[in-house]
Amino acid sequence: MTVTEAPVATPINIVLLSLFVFLVYLRLKPAKPQTLPRAPPPTVFRTFTPPELFPYNGLNGMPVYLAVRGRVFDVTSGKNFYGPGGPYANFAGRDASRGLACGSFDEDMLTKDLDGPLDHLEGLVGEQLDALQGWEDRFSEKYLVVGKLVAVPSDETEADAGGDAKPAAA
Amino acid sequence: MAGIVEQLDNKIAGLLAGWNIYSTVLLVGIIGFIGYVVYDTQDADTHPLLLARQAQASYVRQPGESAIYRSPETPHGYPLRTGLGVKPPGTPMYSAGRDGDLRDIWRRVTGEIPLEKNVQSSGTAKLMTIFGKEGVKEHDIADITKEITIIGKHLKDHGAKRVAIYLPNSVEFLAALFAGAFYGFSPILIPYNQPHATLIDLLNATGADSLIAQAGSLPLADVGKGVARLRQVIWTVEETSRHMDWNEIPEGIGGKIDVSVWHQLVQDHKATPGTLPENRGEAANVVFLWQEAVGKGAEIVEFTQHNLSAAIGALISALPAAQRFTPSDTFLPADAFTQSYCLALTLAALFAHSTVTINSVAGPGVDLSLAARKVAPTIMVASAESAIKLHNTTTVTITSSLKKLAHYLETTILTAGRMPTDSFFSRLNAPSRASVGTTPGKLRILFISERAGLNTPPLSSNDLSDIRIYTGARVIYALTAASVAGAVAQTNIYDYRRGHGPENKHSHFGVPVSSVEVKLKDTSSHKTTDDSAAGEIVVTGPSVAGGEASLGATGTFKEDHTLAYV
Repeated sequence: MTVTEAPVATPINIVLLSLFVFLVYLRLKPAKPQTLPRAPPPTVFRTFTPPELFPYNGLNGMPVYLAVRGRVFDVTSGKNFYGPGGPYANFAGRDASRGLACGSFDEDMLTKDLDGPLDHLEGLVGEQLDALQGWEDRFSEKYLVVGKLVAVPSDETEADAGGDAKPAAA
Repeated sequence: MAGIVEQLDNKIAGLLAGWNIYSTVLLVGIIGFIGYVVYDTQDADTHPLLLARQAQASYVRQPGESAIYRSPETPHGYPLRTGLGVKPPGTPMYSAGRDGDLRDIWRRVTGEIPLEKNVQSSGTAKLMTIFGKEGVKEHDIADITKEITIIGKHLKDHGAKRVAIYLPNSVEFLAALFAGAFYGFSPILIPYNQPHATLIDLLNATGADSLIAQAGSLPLADVGKGVARLRQVIWTVEETSRHMDWNEIPEGIGGKIDVSVWHQLVQDHKATPGTLPENRGEAANVVFLWQEAVGKGAEIVEFTQHNLSAAIGALISALPAAQRFTPSDTFLPADAFTQSYCLALTLAALFAHSTVTINSVAGPGVDLSLAARKVAPTIMVASAESAIKLHNTTTVTITSSLKKLAHYLETTILTAGRMPTDSFFSRLNAPSRASVGTTPGKLRILFISERAGLNTPPLSSNDLSDIRIYTGARVIYALTAASVAGAVAQTNIYDYRRGHGPENKHSHFGVPVSSVEVKLKDTSSHKTTDDSAAGEIVVTGPSVAGGEASLGATGTFKEDHTLAYV
């Protein structure tokens, strides 16, 4: 078989040609840009009253929140400590200020009447306030502030309670 | 079973029986192609995932607002960038450095404040002026220092507090700006080429008591009458017109205004030593005007020195280390110094001891190849108008299918995340390029800015990609605004992605610079939800005049966390 007689369109040539074209196509095909999964939507800052904060105790798939001196921290990532069954579980969904200041995890450290006024921390001494400040600094470093805590009959709470009273962070 | 194998064997044998010289050629071609692909495959300039999620969003947002977005350089919980990190000689090695101000920038230029470790330069920054066709003149930094002291002292002695600088881009412009910082007066930067009536309005609105302007650029009699507070005028005179007497005071304004001439002042005080005064207290603010076009009304914005140094520091650090300004760079501002973005980048170039070439042909819409003739800039800053002009004039030259193919091939390289480099194929069949600078291929970065609220022509991501091919430079697209010094946000230098957003709309503006944080406030038509962030752009940070500013434009943060107009 000489060169001049060689047929071009033999099956093997067609196979090789299509392979070639396919490789060129692969090369020129624009690569799909890499994408990351969507970031979780940011938590909306809320104003809580003690009864509203109460369900955020880690039970029933809820996140764990606790309040220190009016600021509500999302401590879900520290669930082992603050969640159900943890050593600090009493604080979940509650105002933990007095308990943290006194270094006590007992029930009687918590404000009993959720509908009553907030605990203004009367009767705490210097050392206890220092301890509380230490905790607060630690929380601010580690956890997000997702809201503020106000007493129940507050104008601001009533104004806000309509729209975003539903948990936005769930 | 054996039958199937045998049949398959026969089929393959039959297929191979047709092997001839063309098959060999094809096989060699395939192997050669695979070899070329293996040889040619390179990593993208940056990791693609770094472009997939760019700004950092805060985890908590206020109701009625979006999350707060920041540059990854200054994450949430860390302070925003406040300055340049100036380290005068004798500063402890690991200290962060001072924020600095314009005085420190000039002291860096003169070499009084050293460069960073491991950076070598000739000892000072370099300043050159391009004179039309005639060529390029280099200025002696010590001479300019002397001019700063002479002009500054002259204005201070005459009680100047607010000095309007009405000059095209020039060395005198920069000298007057620095003189303000050293001698305690506020420079007012007025965009050049205003109609006389507008100029008088602007001088009155800004409360200027002195004026530095090009001789013959304005009628002194009218301005003297129209601007009651004006006490002092300094003319700058081009070398070719210095034989004329410019000290003449027109009749009718009496002895109210003191007129002097820049080069004569410098001449008269040649003997005095040009030593800069010690830094005492805060340097004065700098006043910028935010104007859609000459002749229109302007928003007056006063930036403190802190605003400016934060803006410059953020623009420097926004570039990755390998791409920053170096002493071997040649910087050409092709936009006006009265734009804070252009000025901040110029000061950044001076701070890094780059060579700054100044062409008075600069401003929105200038022809970039005209602005860059006689020099070979490596970094340029241009207005969106100039960039779109360059894009349009070059695009019409792509007519032959070979040029189209070359353009297409470089586009695929860009889409793959790499900047096209000179290769065998690009030399064989080069795509259409725009001629910017005397040495093609020298330009490495082109800064383009969108001015919020001023009807700047939009550049889509495809336009920007084309400009990368036409200039061979990496393109940065920035969002600038009246009350924010420097930029609000600018694109990642390695972000070459195309097809983001519709054609004929603004491309995205990347991430906020490290001196600001950006949030979007709900408007009646655009609201932030759990799925998307949209609303009026609100900027906070050390480079914002007054600390916080609302841009009056609606924006959104896209899925890749880049800021864009809605």
